[in-house]
Amino acid sequence: MGVRTYRSTRRWWHPGRTVVLGAALALAAGPAALAAPVAPTPSGSAAPAPNGTASTGARGEELFRQNCASCHGQQGQGSQRGPSLVGVGPASADFQLSTGRMPIAGEIPQPRRGEPVFSAEEIAALVDHVASFGGGPQIPRVQPGSLTAGRALYAANCAPCHGAAGTGAPLTNGWIAPPLYDATPVQVAEAIRVGPGLMPVFPSQVLTDEQVNDLTTYVRRLRAEHLDRGGNPLGRLGPLAEGLVAWIVALGLLVAAARWLGQRAGE
Amino acid sequence: MILDRLARAVDDRLRLSPLTRKALAKVFPDHWSFMLGEIALYSFVALILTGVYLTLFFDASSADRVYHGAYAPLDGTTTSAAYASTVRLSWDVRAGLLIRQTHHWSALIFVAAILVHLVRIFFTGAFRKPRELNWLVGVTMLLLALANGFTGYSMPDDLLSGLGLRIIVSVVESVPLVGSWLVALGLGGEFPSDEMIPRLFVTHVLLVPAVLVALVSVHLAMVVRQKHSQFPGPGRTEHNVVGARFYPNYTLRSVALFLWVLAVLFALGGLVQINPVWLYGPFAPAQSTSPAQPDWYVAWGDGALRLFPPWEIHIAGHLVPAPFFPGVVLGGVTFLALYAWPFLERWCGGDRRAHQLLDRPRDHPVRMGVGVMALTFFAVLVVTAGDDILARLLRVPVYDLLNLLRVLVLVLPVLAGALAFLLARALRRGDAARLGELTRADLRAARQPADRGDAEAAADEPELPAPDRPGERVELWPDGDVWRWRYRDEPAGVAILSNRAVLTEQEAAESARLAYPGVDHVLVPGPPPPPLPGRVRTALRRWGNRALGVSLLVAALRQRRDRRRGGHGDGPDRR
Repeated sequence: MGVRTYRSTRRWWHPGRTVVLGAALALAAGPAALAAPVAPTPSGSAAPAPNGTASTGARGEELFRQNCASCHGQQGQGSQRGPSLVGVGPASADFQLSTGRMPIAGEIPQPRRGEPVFSAEEIAALVDHVASFGGGPQIPRVQPGSLTAGRALYAANCAPCHGAAGTGAPLTNGWIAPPLYDATPVQVAEAIRVGPGLMPVFPSQVLTDEQVNDLTTYVRRLRAEHLDRGGNPLGRLGPLAEGLVAWIVALGLLVAAARWLGQRAGE
Repeated sequence: MILDRLARAVDDRLRLSPLTRKALAKVFPDHWSFMLGEIALYSFVALILTGVYLTLFFDASSADRVYHGAYAPLDGTTTSAAYASTVRLSWDVRAGLLIRQTHHWSALIFVAAILVHLVRIFFTGAFRKPRELNWLVGVTMLLLALANGFTGYSMPDDLLSGLGLRIIVSVVESVPLVGSWLVALGLGGEFPSDEMIPRLFVTHVLLVPAVLVALVSVHLAMVVRQKHSQFPGPGRTEHNVVGARFYPNYTLRSVALFLWVLAVLFALGGLVQINPVWLYGPFAPAQSTSPAQPDWYVAWGDGALRLFPPWEIHIAGHLVPAPFFPGVVLGGVTFLALYAWPFLERWCGGDRRAHQLLDRPRDHPVRMGVGVMALTFFAVLVVTAGDDILARLLRVPVYDLLNLLRVLVLVLPVLAGALAFLLARALRRGDAARLGELTRADLRAARQPADRGDAEAAADEPELPAPDRPGERVELWPDGDVWRWRYRDEPAGVAILSNRAVLTEQEAAESARLAYPGVDHVLVPGPPPPPLPGRVRTALRRWGNRALGVSLLVAALRQRRDRRRGGHGDGPDRR
């Protein structure tokens, strides 16, 4: 499960090795690799070599060996540094790779969303390879659903952690429920089915495919700026952000106005 | 001309002119800090104006209502009428959102301005005799403002405010013995009751505002009756008020401030989103959202609830629920302390005299220390209410942050209070005019006890009769049918004109004696010539006039040129 995936990444790195491999990486791949850090490979070459002739399966296996196997094991059986990928399934792999959470950049409790390291084809090849380990939910097929039903489902199932406005919120122990504005509908559906991190799993017995469609439609809608009809949304952070604006901007201006009027009077 | 006749007609019947003349001549001190309360007053006016508009569209009922309107995610959803009408106000009523947001911003500014005003009153000692009564009225208004803010915030029946209401209800339920009875009495049943929203509505739009309007009137009437306090300065004594007449000077200034307040509030209402209830969704007891905070002025209560450890405290064998202490006890103690402060200070400090002249904040280091301590305490509580947002910004675990804040809320106020006390004491004793000029020597010198007689004399100095002060005199002169007088202190370069003309010389002398007892009177032939305006101002005015003339000329020329071109050119444009 995803929970284990993240938790076990904590003691994953040896500091000395980081330095050595970081230097090797820098030498081998140049600044590009530093800009988009990837997990080290046994051979020390991080940049995936262009490979037009091999089949997708071979490509996936090669990429896996280069980028994932050092932690997840050659057969995806897991190691001390990373959990087993047997049984996690394509939805989970696609979620982690397409949101840029994997390959993980360093020893952090919870990987954050970033630019994906691999291209869409590479991700597809890797997902196929992880799928060959067996088990796990498939990548959901998302279709447009009902906005109103999605809103009600979101309020009941997602808002407690991700916030009614989709801003995300902190959970226990330094974990956060991330904001949802960057997630694509497929990623949202994958997260629902897979339950990455501390998120619970919502299998099809709990939320039907149609309901997932409704949810992804509403979440997609949440990022729309025209929902902020009232002006600057202040990050949709709620009353305390509003209070800060009231004090600093509004009261600041008004006190300055009073001072100015008082000063004019004193002349 | 018509106005003149109208005024005469009204005056013939009601005989208002003596009263009006007196009212228009009322003197307001010039210092800017006396206008802070006015910001609150004008926010209150804005609240009433916008609130009336909102009542036209808001439906205060928890009955089911199907929303149909422009907000697609809720279109066709059944919610409470209160929520549906609020969303309709925000998305479908013309200018509804602007007015609703302005109303909410006004509420935030209203309480903020009350607080700033209170801080000014507190640190300058304006609550001392004879103004304790007005302090009580003011604190009551703060309490009512909080109550009205909270009821207004809860009325839309959205998810976020529903959570807040649930918390308040739980706090009331935690009162030993009577808690659950109070809740049943207030809500007419269990928590999400059908009576809840109508009762909140009546409280919000009728009961509390009516009391507030009455108290505002009392507050202002007392200010007029007792006259303004003022900061000490040349020519300012315990017996007079130096400043601007109500009409025309102060009226203009006050109207300017009113327009400023309206401008800022409506600008915020139009440009910055506040409380987007459509995003939060309707309240359902089983749902929640995060991050969830109340408006800033009740956030200290929320912060205290978050900070208080989950202790199970038994008193006489009965469990007292933990929310009782941070919720009920803290709130009660806060307002009790506020109410009691003037009397506490008089009782402990032994100062029973009436004061018309204000302290500078530094003059009373103990008050300074206590005030800064309290402010820091509540500031930490407000910050605590945002612990989840803060934890996310700082990327630290929220419980670690909470533990840190538990320490800070106890340590920081004491440190800040002590620092303020020391600085105020050093400033009072030393020669430094402002904080930046304070040296270490001042701080060290303040540690030695000052000779009290000196300090007492300094405090009493403005009250001493001043016949022996050279250069000080009161000048009286006839001005047509009436008499005027002015106070003049030549060495200080001060000349203060009396605010009212009187009919006889004797009256003028009497009023001068009231304001400046013991100052010699001198008869002068006529009013002194007005001082020449400053050089910069004259130059500015001259250049301004020239620029205006030139721009008018340019505009006229351009218009003429355009007209000529238009006449020769295409016809359709000219229509």
